[in-house]
Amino acid sequence: MAVLIRRLEEPDQVALFDCGDEPLNNYLRRHAWTNQQKSSIGVTYVAIDEGAPRSVLGYFTLATASVPREAFPKKYVRGLPAYDLPLILLARLAVDRRFAGKGLGHALISEAFKIALRVADDVGCRCIIADVYQDRIDWYARYGFVALEGGDPSRPQRMFLDIRTIRIALKGST
Amino acid sequence: MTLKTRQARKATLPPRGRRKSKFQADLAPAEDQMVRGLKQELQLNSNTDFLSDALALFRWAVGERKRGHRIFSEAETGERKELVLPRLERVAPGLALPRVEITWTPRELERLADLSSKEPSPPTETLLRAMRG
Repeated sequence: MAVLIRRLEEPDQVALFDCGDEPLNNYLRRHAWTNQQKSSIGVTYVAIDEGAPRSVLGYFTLATASVPREAFPKKYVRGLPAYDLPLILLARLAVDRRFAGKGLGHALISEAFKIALRVADDVGCRCIIADVYQDRIDWYARYGFVALEGGDPSRPQRMFLDIRTIRIALKGST
Repeated sequence: MTLKTRQARKATLPPRGRRKSKFQADLAPAEDQMVRGLKQELQLNSNTDFLSDALALFRWAVGERKRGHRIFSEAETGERKELVLPRLERVAPGLALPRVEITWTPRELERLADLSSKEPSPPTETLLRAMRG
């Protein structure tokens, strides 16, 4: 099976996608395309099998955000650049249950890192932020994501990965 | 009588999807001059041919940027120039990420500021593997 990762397209078959988590299924089935094309609040990338190029095996969604400099506690501001802190939000990442355990999640997050580096090169970005389910924290930690403690308990754990760490990894891997 | 005429006209029209549509544009004198000059250079006789060729080129450029490819011209000396059009950049995967608002708690912001102001951590083995692929 040759897997290709590309941007979500309207004719892609998303109705049968099932990662075992209803909010993640629902996002892809109902909102991903609209959010990408009409509302412009997230770009979704899908993994597809080149042999069946419309069937979605997994996906992730990216957006950009920034934190205003004045929002940070004063004692930290001196160590930061004199601008708002730009970041990339890895909003969602999911793999269809039929393809779980085959390295598809790894392929998806690798592609997300590469896109993040391109964005960082083009418009600047300091880190990647991911909102992670409790049972997936260890998986993200393996890539170097660090938990930002003290978050709102009603939402998933927010995690941080420095874009410079990814850049070092790219240099180290070539 | 009127009804008859309308019916006759309707019968001669091609089906909706195959009808040709008209395209009209208001050009400033300088742009008009540019179109005339290009038509002459490219030996195009009609505005339709001109628009058709321009459309094919634009469509190709949009497709390339959508795939994340950059578009360059290269001189014989090897000097390269990149084509950067703001409108084209909107479809490029890197730059087409939309902007969203995120809510933070004060403690998260503290931790974020702390991590962002430090030297970056060395990459993990899994991250190195991810970037190798």
